[in-house]
Amino acid sequence: MLRQIFIVSALNFKSLKGRFWQSMVIVVGLGATIGVLLSMMSMTVGLRAAYDRVGDPGRAIVVSKGAESEGSSSVTRAMAPIIMDAPGVAKDVDGKPLADRQLNIGVPVLRLNGTKGYTTMRGFGPKGVALRPEFHMLKGRMFQAGKRELVVGVGAQTMFQNVKIGDQVILPDGGWPIVGVYQTGDILDGQLVGDTETMLTAFHRSAYNSILVRLASHDTLDAFRRALTTNPALSVTVERHSDWYKKISGQATTLLAVLAYVVGFVMAIGALFGCLNTMYAAISTRGREIATLRALGYGAFPVAMSVVLEAVALAVAGALAGAAIAWLMNDGRQGIWGVNIFHLSVPPSMIGLGVGWAIVVALLGGLLPSIRAARRPVVEALRAT
Amino acid sequence: MYYLPLIWAAILRKPTRAVLTLLSVMVAFTLFGLMVGMNATFDTVAAKARADRIFTWPRFGGDGVPVAVARQVAAIPGVKAVTALNFLPGYVQDPKNQAFMLMVDKDVASVFGDYGVAPEQWNLVWKDRTGIVMSRMQAARWHKKVGDTFTMISKQVKRADGKNSWDFKLLAIVDDIPQAGNGFIFGNYDYIDKAKPVADQGKVNEVDLLADDPANASAVAARIDQAFANSATPMQTITEKLARSGNDFGGLDVKKITGGIALAGMFMVLFLTGNGIAESVRERFAEFATLKTIGFTDRAVATMVVLEAALPCVVGAALGVGLAAILARQIPKLMPPGFGIPLPTMSPMVMLWAALSALVVAALSAALPVLWLKRMDIATALSGRA
Repeated sequence: MLRQIFIVSALNFKSLKGRFWQSMVIVVGLGATIGVLLSMMSMTVGLRAAYDRVGDPGRAIVVSKGAESEGSSSVTRAMAPIIMDAPGVAKDVDGKPLADRQLNIGVPVLRLNGTKGYTTMRGFGPKGVALRPEFHMLKGRMFQAGKRELVVGVGAQTMFQNVKIGDQVILPDGGWPIVGVYQTGDILDGQLVGDTETMLTAFHRSAYNSILVRLASHDTLDAFRRALTTNPALSVTVERHSDWYKKISGQATTLLAVLAYVVGFVMAIGALFGCLNTMYAAISTRGREIATLRALGYGAFPVAMSVVLEAVALAVAGALAGAAIAWLMNDGRQGIWGVNIFHLSVPPSMIGLGVGWAIVVALLGGLLPSIRAARRPVVEALRAT
Repeated sequence: MYYLPLIWAAILRKPTRAVLTLLSVMVAFTLFGLMVGMNATFDTVAAKARADRIFTWPRFGGDGVPVAVARQVAAIPGVKAVTALNFLPGYVQDPKNQAFMLMVDKDVASVFGDYGVAPEQWNLVWKDRTGIVMSRMQAARWHKKVGDTFTMISKQVKRADGKNSWDFKLLAIVDDIPQAGNGFIFGNYDYIDKAKPVADQGKVNEVDLLADDPANASAVAARIDQAFANSATPMQTITEKLARSGNDFGGLDVKKITGGIALAGMFMVLFLTGNGIAESVRERFAEFATLKTIGFTDRAVATMVVLEAALPCVVGAALGVGLAAILARQIPKLMPPGFGIPLPTMSPMVMLWAALSALVVAALSAALPVLWLKRMDIATALSGRA
């Protein structure tokens, strides 16, 4: 049986050359479908990756109870030291807790295309950098604590105007100069960073947005959480940093992912009709050949299988071509979505998903024609011209 | 139309192929309609945006700025009219049902005259502080008619009495306008202001204004930004033209993306129809030879092939755009709340583009077969050896 399938399929593939343009309908149809799907998904995937990288599982974030974002969270000055001194927090070489008071403020920016948008300005406390080994300066210098100055992420510079070293950012008490450029390789690259306490004064605020801590070990999260949630002086939510950003990236990427899948699905339906068309045509041009095989004693199942296999092979070829185009056009390019700056990405896992879609379309598109091919009475097919 | 029976016979020769081709073309044009239709919506909004209207809101601080800012804006040279607004974000019954209300003062008509609320309708609102005006789309969304009570829950805006529900009375329903794609609700600024705790009163979330000359709008906007840059309340100012300049959705280049998708769909269809017509012509080579023998000219034969290719394209395009129009109307029901996607509109421009694309696909598909038929050797073809 397997041998029969192999022989019949080999015969099919050998005759593909003669049906080149016909077969291209499947290749192009799925190439276009998977190319569009992966191009659109490259935004979702890239954005999710940027968030995943910032979410270090060795860190924990503390926000006010039930807060869905850092912007809507508020941690008072009185609460901060209790949180930072809680058990489970790692200690720095100076013996102080590796924990930081953070601010998270939306700042209007001018995009390169002239439209207005927002980005996030972050406040770092004294341990801000120590908490983030991924943070390093590329150009200029770090801001000085107590001074009204900012550093800018390398990604923000590629998407916004007026964020070069020496430019001023308008804040509530006047312009703050940009003194350096940093890189983290994650979502922070599209943001601005300054000194938490100085920003707090400038914005006339009395509360921080969140507290970020380095956990003493991966397993101390529960102890840390218990200490905070059982303390009646606090009303906070504690999350592992990686879990927190999974939630945030889910909110940010849902719309993009839904759009990508809807468009991909519609195109896949179009490609399916094309696939059906091609495979019906293929079995009709090869009607006599198939009948001859059947007359020689080949079973109906190997014949049907060979039709499906041909459709799958063509579809996978198309999907790979589409994925290659999507990769060339998008992978690594700088992307923007709302306040988020990130790199578009077409990783192998997405290419796998694209090939999977293509195989499903080919199975659906090859099935009906394969049944027709297998069922056709041999004598009738042999007589047909 | 003389050839119609011949073309019809050619298409019906392989009914499966005809139906599958038509369906595939239809799906591609559904996508085409949705994509180009979305661009059309962006374009209409951008075109209808008033060149002289300017929005300004606090750069920082979600609670708003003192209402005095509106008076300072009014004093800036080049400003003709000013109105101060408060926002009331919230939901109806369930957090899933997001709602948003603009609370406006009595100067609103001088800045938003194009929103179609008549002076006597505004007067109703000024007389009854709980009164609101809805556009048809919003009234339909909340199933309200004039005289009904409309209750919104807002967690964001604090009330002095500690409650978080706001009761309104619907006093008038007006037509929708393209600039407000999801419709609009206007309420009374005094009502929200006086309901807030004393410390929160006298604040505005946004100041909207008209420049005395549309040509000055950008300059006036820059002047406002500058005037407040070093104040306690820096403002962020943008002209309505720039704010609605379509083509900008969370920073995405919408036209490039939608155009790319529509093009990919057309490319797919081109291969399908091109291949279909080539096959159909190849199968009937001898028939075409016969037609030429009995006196059909090259042009007549070519016309037949082009029409045979065009029929599924044009019919598929029409069905596809029609389906897109139906789907576009369903989008608001399917879309999760807060997903502000502009609804695609099947404007005449979209239909024109669809028709043009269909004809281009048909022409390209038919080009090669027409060439074969022109060059064919009738004797060989008739013998069936071609």
